Amino acid sequence: MKSTRRKRKQRKKRNSYGMAYTVLILDDDEDFNSLLTDIFEQADYVVASLTDPIEAVEVFTHTDYDLVVTDHKMPEMTGAEFMRTIKGIKPEVPVVMVSGYLENDMIRELIRDGVGGVFLKPLNIFSLLERTSELIEEAVKLKAAAKTNPDVSKAFEMDSPDAKLGFRFRSFPCKSSASSDFAERLHSFRNFKLALTLIGGPGTHYRQICEDLAGFYEDTADRFAYFSRDSFDESKLRAALETAKADDASRLTCVLLSVEDMSPEQKQLAAILPKAEGPFSGYAYDIRVIYCVSGDLDDLYDEELIDEHLYILMGTAEVRVPRLKDCSSDIVLMAQQLVVQAAQKVGSQNTPRFDKSAREFLRNYDWPTNYAGLTERVDSAVAATQGGVISIDVLRTAEKELVEETISSRYEVLLKDARKELVNSAIIMFGDDASKAAPFFGADTASINSIINK
Amino acid sequence: MQQHRALILRGNRFLGSALVDKGLISQPDLEAANDKFMSSIQEADLKNSSILTSLLYDLKVLDEDKLLAYTVENKGCGLIDLNHIDLKSLTPLNGVDSELCWATSTLPFDKVEGTHLVVSCYTLSAPVVKYWEDVLDGNVIWYVSSVSSISRGLERLDEIHEAEAEAEEEEE
Repeated sequence: MKSTRRKRKQRKKRNSYGMAYTVLILDDDEDFNSLLTDIFEQADYVVASLTDPIEAVEVFTHTDYDLVVTDHKMPEMTGAEFMRTIKGIKPEVPVVMVSGYLENDMIRELIRDGVGGVFLKPLNIFSLLERTSELIEEAVKLKAAAKTNPDVSKAFEMDSPDAKLGFRFRSFPCKSSASSDFAERLHSFRNFKLALTLIGGPGTHYRQICEDLAGFYEDTADRFAYFSRDSFDESKLRAALETAKADDASRLTCVLLSVEDMSPEQKQLAAILPKAEGPFSGYAYDIRVIYCVSGDLDDLYDEELIDEHLYILMGTAEVRVPRLKDCSSDIVLMAQQLVVQAAQKVGSQNTPRFDKSAREFLRNYDWPTNYAGLTERVDSAVAATQGGVISIDVLRTAEKELVEETISSRYEVLLKDARKELVNSAIIMFGDDASKAAPFFGADTASINSIINK
Repeated sequence: MQQHRALILRGNRFLGSALVDKGLISQPDLEAANDKFMSSIQEADLKNSSILTSLLYDLKVLDEDKLLAYTVENKGCGLIDLNHIDLKSLTPLNGVDSELCWATSTLPFDKVEGTHLVVSCYTLSAPVVKYWEDVLDGNVIWYVSSVSSISRGLERLDEIHEAEAEAEEEEE
C-alpha cells in the first residue's frame, strides 16, 4: 500500500478559492501509481495516491477531491465497482479510468455509469492531462450552476448516500444500523416546536449533531446558539436573543449542553425558555431548546438532577445518540476524516493513513468517551506519525500519553485549588486584607488577588 | 394521590412518546398536551392529570377509535365495555387502591384461576404496565376500553368502596 502524498509547489492549478485542484489516484500497481502521481504532480495538481480501493472509498468519502483517476483491475474491487461506489457518494466528482485492456462492452458500461474518460496503457500523457483539465473545468461550471439551478443540484444529489437517507447528514457516516436509525429519528423530530432532548454518552459530539439538525432547515432563517454550564445565564441568553432579532431570525434554537450539571437557577431558566416566558417573552420569533444530557431521563429524575417540569418537557421528544462502539462500521471513516482535519491543523504536508491493525483497533475499541476520545486519539496519533502510517502501536502509545496527560492535568487542578485555599486562609489570618497577606508569600497584592479570583 | 405522582408523570411521559412513535398524534400535539398536563399537575389536580383527556377532549387531536384499534391489533389486548361488567371491591387486592386506579386509568375487573383481567387506557405506557404487573405478580391479561368507559367504571368502583366503608361503620 502506498502512502498518501501531497507536494506543495509554487504554481498550482487553482480553484475559485485560490486552492490547488486535488486528484485522488487509485492503482494497486505501485510502479504505475508512482508514475501517475508524478504526472499529475508535474502538472501542478495536489495528489493523494492510494493502492487499496476500500481505503480509497473511505478517504474519498470524507475528503474533497476535484478528480479521481482509477485503475480497473484491482484485487478487492474493480475500477468499475469503485467508480459506482464513489459516484454514489459524490456524483459530481469526475472519474477517469486508466487500464491495460478493456472490452468495448465494458467501456460502454463505464460511459453509461458516468466515467469521464477511459485511457488505455501505454498512456498518452498529454491527452490524459487535457481531458482531466476539461473534466475539472466542467465540474466547476456544473457546481456553480447547481448553486443557482435546483434541477442541476437535484441531478447531483440523486445517487448520493444522502439520497438514501433523504437528507444531508454528516455527524455519523451512517454505515451502521445504529447511526442510520439515529439519523432517521433525529430527522423525524426536526419540526419539534418546543423541546428536543439528545441523550448521549460522555464525549458525544452534540455540536456536530446539532449542525446536522440545523442543515435540515435550509429555507428558514433559523439560528442556533450553544450554551454550557459556564455560559448559560439570563444575560447571555438575552444577548443571543438580541443577536437573533438583529439577524431577522425566524426562530432561535438554544442548545443546552450537560443540563444535568447545571445549577438549580440555570435549570429553572432552561425550563421556561422554550415557552418564551418571563424575561424571554416579547420576541417576535419562536424559541426552542435542545437539551443535551448524558443519562436516561428517568434516572436523572430519580436522582433529582432534573425536576418534574423538566422531566416532562425533555421527555416530549427524546433521541438517543448511539455510542461510538455501537457504530463500528462508522468509526474508521470518522477517524479518517479526523486525520485529514488533524493533518491540516498541524500543517502536515502528508495525510497519514491507518494500516490494517489500526483499523481493526478502531473498530473494536470500547470508546468510553465516544467522539471526544476518538478525536484525542487521532490528534495524538497524527502528531506522532507526522504524515506516515498510523499503526495499532501508534494508537496505543497515543492512549498512554493521553492517560498521563489526564493524570498530570488533574494534579495541576488539585495543586491550584490547594494554593487558592492556602492564600485564602492567609488572607483571613491577616484580617481579610490581601495587601497584608502578600508579603507573607513574598508576592505583590495584584498576584495574590489574581490567585483568589481565578 | 400524591404517592402516585411519580408514576403519573412517568406513565404519561411514556404514553405520549408511544402515541407519537405510533403515528397516532404529532409531536407538536404532544407538546401542547404536555403543557396542559403540567398545569394540572402543578395545580395538584392529580386525578384529572392525563395527557389522554387533553388530547381527546381539549385538543381533539387523538382519534380514540384508532388508538383502541391499534392497541388491540398490535398489543394483543382484548376490547371490553366496562358498562357490561359487574365490578367488585379492590379490597382483597394487596397494594391496589382506587387512587392507583385513577392515577393510571387502570382497573382490575376480574380474576380467573389466579390471573387478573385488567383494563387500562395506558397499555402503551411501559411503566404503567410494569407497575401493575409487579403489583399483581405478573399474572395479567390486558384489556382496553374507551376513556369514558373506564372513568365511569372507576366512579362505580368508588361507589362500591363508599358503600363498603359505610357498611363497616354501621357494623362498628
